[in-house]
Amino acid sequence: MAGSMTGFRNLIDALAAAPGDRPFVTAWIDEDEQETVTFAEFQRCARSQAKMLSEHDVSVGDRVIILMPQSIPAMTTFVGAMMLGAIPAFLAYPNFKVEASKYRSGLAGVTANLKAKVVVIDDAFPEELLGHVSVSEEARLLRTSDSKNVRTEVELPELESHSEGLAFIQHSAGTTGLQKGVALTHSAVLRQLEHLTCALRVDGAKDSVYSWLPLYHDMGLIACFMLPMVYHMRVVMQSPLDWVMHPETMLEIISKYKCTLAWMPNFAFQFVPRRTPRNRWAQYDLSSARALINCSEPVRSSSMREFESAFSCIGLKSGTLQSSYAMAENVFAVTQSEVNRPSGPKQIWADGQRFRSMHLIAPVAEGTPGAVSFTSSGRLLPNNEVRILSESATMLAPGYVGEILIKSDSLFTGYYNRPDLTAKAIAESWCHTGDLGFTLEDELYVIGRKKDLLIVGGENFYPQDIEEIVASHPALHDGRVVAMGLYNADLGTEDIVVVAEVEREELLTDTAEVERELRNLIVAGIGVAVRTIFLKPPKWIVKSTAGKAARSATREKLLKEHPELDVESGESKDA
Amino acid sequence: MTEEEQQMIDHIVRLIRKPNLSIDENTPLVSSGLIDSMALVDLLLKLEDLTHKRIPPGKVQPKDMNTVALMFATAERVGKARK
Repeated sequence: MAGSMTGFRNLIDALAAAPGDRPFVTAWIDEDEQETVTFAEFQRCARSQAKMLSEHDVSVGDRVIILMPQSIPAMTTFVGAMMLGAIPAFLAYPNFKVEASKYRSGLAGVTANLKAKVVVIDDAFPEELLGHVSVSEEARLLRTSDSKNVRTEVELPELESHSEGLAFIQHSAGTTGLQKGVALTHSAVLRQLEHLTCALRVDGAKDSVYSWLPLYHDMGLIACFMLPMVYHMRVVMQSPLDWVMHPETMLEIISKYKCTLAWMPNFAFQFVPRRTPRNRWAQYDLSSARALINCSEPVRSSSMREFESAFSCIGLKSGTLQSSYAMAENVFAVTQSEVNRPSGPKQIWADGQRFRSMHLIAPVAEGTPGAVSFTSSGRLLPNNEVRILSESATMLAPGYVGEILIKSDSLFTGYYNRPDLTAKAIAESWCHTGDLGFTLEDELYVIGRKKDLLIVGGENFYPQDIEEIVASHPALHDGRVVAMGLYNADLGTEDIVVVAEVEREELLTDTAEVERELRNLIVAGIGVAVRTIFLKPPKWIVKSTAGKAARSATREKLLKEHPELDVESGESKDA
Repeated sequence: MTEEEQQMIDHIVRLIRKPNLSIDENTPLVSSGLIDSMALVDLLLKLEDLTHKRIPPGKVQPKDMNTVALMFATAERVGKARK
């Protein structure tokens, strides 16, 4: 495959070409404490980490696991490993919110699969979790001291040109159990970044990135670390935990550092305005932002509108909110909305009935009764292709809903050490994403995950649509709704069950009226009757580490509390 | 027990919705399963309020939040005075 047009052989060459005195990473700790390193300082620290790793026999092709808090040392260790031709991977660092047992089993599985030469941890890594880091016989556990103050230059041997060699492993966003390690070459990453910068019209001297995204996910690693590194931009970064605690800091950081680009999952577009007291909005200024990109979840126009209407009074320009469809398997982005469109990503309305029964998008005028709306994730990046496949594996025309398949010049070649999973995901160079969507007028619209789809009497329903309707009821807590399909053995199809949290516990004393209103809303909105609505007290719904309602964990909790609903587990229909 | 510790206990009792449950500053909360990990963000924010400190969440592990006494000790150890 051809190399990158950036002219760099690999990511390390791209970093070496950066203007040394330009600020690269600013780590925001809190309003009183920030730390900034320039490109030259960053490289010096990375070389020192490379030296430390090479003293422990790390060399070309060895895997290096980095289990450190989100910080500049974690980033320099990652780059230090790449400087040796080794293959680094960030894994999530334990925190006070993670379920210890879940974390342990995930850590054991991932580290065993990577067979790393070294696992780098920081001094504060909890001792009780160390036993679950699987380290192969010849491997070592390294504790790294903070080497940010390194002043001496470390000489490293010149790396051979290895653009087709593996650069690093990033893990796909698995919610539980084993995450899949996506192995990526230098050239695939460089090609992806080149397409992305072209779509976003990035100017390294003028643009800067704001990020609270974890470095072990593609949005944090590619968009907010590799992109600034290769295109010589500043990134101002805070830890995901700090952001979840104080989401308002996003506004503070963008205002202070005049950041121009940021990526966030859909829920964050609601989370920030809802968690920032209104009387403090005026302290901030978002006029520097030119693209805040909604990525990694299906894009909801209501969430975008909420953010935009909240913050247009503090300088947020119309058209700043953008969308993208991305996945670790493609390095990162597959599509990107047009950054110069003043109205933001394209939005369409379609006939609801035909959408559900024929899986077809028949455009109608905005506001037509029974219409459903979709927000585009944008156009394909250069050298990216998409196909929409039906249940019976036939290729669908534009306007029909099916599974999204992608092919590109930055596509991964396989899951690390998992030929079984690779064979399931890639067939004849096409990657089966498991996401549902459609194309229309050269734009891609992503609807949800194939496995979340509810099928009732042959009609398709998307849990997000039902959840959005239910969440609009004033008695319920925003965002704390889960819709799911439960098999009804009598009818041979799925029934829709909704679980929602009430805003205040006392609302549970008389739920009949709320339930009646919800049923009416759902029938009016999408024309389906739900089997059961469970109203639960605040904080009942299981949430992910990022604060989103976790669909599968909530389903498990509901079935545990209401075993009568679980007709499937006693049956052998799928076994 | 300090007044702030008592306020935290009242908050936890409301949070876990078991009004008859008696807890004191040394009752295990996380290891006993009384509070789940998702409630810990709420407790950490409450702890910031009660102590008037900014507590860096990255320096807090589940064991640091296991009892009300440990929570306040953690705030003392890693908390930073707010401006």
